[in-house]
Amino acid sequence: MQSSKMGDILTIQSLSKGFSRQVKNSAGEDIDEQYWVIHQLFLNVPRGKVIALIGGNGAGKTTLFNIISGFIMPDSGSILYKPDGKNLELSGMSPHLITRAGIGRMFQDNHIFREMSVLDNMLVADSAYLAERPFRSLLFRNKNRKEENCRLAKAMDIFENLFVVDNPFLEKRKQPAGNLSYGQQRLLGLARLFMRNYELLLLDEPTAGVNPEVIEQIKQLILNFIKNNQTVLLIEHNLEVVKDIADFCCYMENGRIALMGTPEDVIGNEEVQKSYMGL
Amino acid sequence: MEYVIHLIILINIYIILTTSSNLLVGLTNLLSLGQAALYGIGAYLSVLALMVFHWPLIPTLLFSMIITSLLSLLLAWPSLRLKGDYFVLATLGFQLIVFTILYNWVSVTRGPYGIPGIPNPKLFGDIEISGLWAFFVLSLVLVVVVVFLFHNLIHSPFGRALKGIRDDELSMQALGKNVTALKIQAFVISSAFIAISGFLYATYVSYIDPTSFNLDESIFILSALIVGGLGNIRGPVIGALVVILLPEALRFIGLPDSVAANIRQIIYGLALIVLMRFRPQGIAGNYAIK
Repeated sequence: MQSSKMGDILTIQSLSKGFSRQVKNSAGEDIDEQYWVIHQLFLNVPRGKVIALIGGNGAGKTTLFNIISGFIMPDSGSILYKPDGKNLELSGMSPHLITRAGIGRMFQDNHIFREMSVLDNMLVADSAYLAERPFRSLLFRNKNRKEENCRLAKAMDIFENLFVVDNPFLEKRKQPAGNLSYGQQRLLGLARLFMRNYELLLLDEPTAGVNPEVIEQIKQLILNFIKNNQTVLLIEHNLEVVKDIADFCCYMENGRIALMGTPEDVIGNEEVQKSYMGL
Repeated sequence: MEYVIHLIILINIYIILTTSSNLLVGLTNLLSLGQAALYGIGAYLSVLALMVFHWPLIPTLLFSMIITSLLSLLLAWPSLRLKGDYFVLATLGFQLIVFTILYNWVSVTRGPYGIPGIPNPKLFGDIEISGLWAFFVLSLVLVVVVVFLFHNLIHSPFGRALKGIRDDELSMQALGKNVTALKIQAFVISSAFIAISGFLYATYVSYIDPTSFNLDESIFILSALIVGGLGNIRGPVIGALVVILLPEALRFIGLPDSVAANIRQIIYGLALIVLMRFRPQGIAGNYAIK
């Protein structure tokens, strides 16, 4: 893939992740077979761009995200993350340390805190790890209160400025987040990622199951990330969204990047149309 | 009047127990069956400080809280990496081990004979906490302090992080939170404050034996918490009130003690079943156990 002027933020080399599964051989006996979910995958992610990952079910897209964000350990290969001139090998790092290094994640399912208020969903997403120490909470209450007010102002600023039209969050900010509609929960999941300055965002099907109006809002939010010079790696099945916002597109098949290029090139490719879209 | 004061002291001991346990069960969704073991450790350590070291009240309390919380680390460190039922089983194992040690280490704990004649704690110099009213004031002061501290914890960023773990652990990790460290901190703080109940119980009753800290007691503490309600301050307080006052109410019906004890167990069981079915968050809680 062509790299931007500012270089790549993520370089994945020879990444593999397999599971063993039982299959029957020709004699009808159970034997263990290695099944590769990710197999010898190479990918360069250019900084400040939207890169869409498309591919059929089981192609390995979500597994790739789980490996990058530390929830699954790869069997082999390297994931080099390069924020601000540093080089960090992500394989083997804990998920929370990967997040602290600047990689944000939005899951395929709505992983919002349903019992918490909408506002608390935002506040908990802040990078205030020191404030979450219990003794600090007890002993430095005034300092904590001041910091909490700053976080509150930041969350309100995000609500006021990100959702100019049809803003449900200001009115519902004190309600449990579980009371929001599915689309609003997706938006909240994305808004939460603005609470800290991530360098790279992994968004897993943000537009799945939402109405066209919310899809437009989600597209605008993703473009907002890019305006902040953040990089977005996006798993997306809605090809119109891919065409509209992605700078590059990767087609995944059998745990590898089978094709990469501009969205028009990849989506227009005859092989992709045949195997992915069934045309 | 003395009877009422006695009940209030018992309620205060249980408010500290349920409020401390709420941090673990109600805020972090960690169902622990080892609460009575920690309660017992706190009580025996207090007795050690009072009878062997002859320390006054505050050093005794601090000693009991610090050592109990350090011992709780032995349980927290390996078991908090376990999830759900496995964690419950680990705490059950801890409860059984502690009870067995308290029961069989006769040279130190006097085992089933218990430790009688626990002296009154000294406030400063020769000023003793002695008599019903003095224990009433002491227990009230400790309850107010504990409830105040836990109120602040629940409404702090730390409390919010624990609620996040309760709601969605995966999401908390994805937001950069060290979930294991937060759980360990919750466990250690909860244990330290449970030790206060142990201190109060040992010094007020002036006799302890291992049967006061067995698995039944752990289930009793958990029941009080679930009946009262999880996730806020009101629930644990109401739970303690219910479990102490309910058996007392049965006294006035005129049932013989042996029957009343069994009826009490049946009522607790029924209350739990009815609550789980119709109000899983308890009488005044705002979170239903999962």
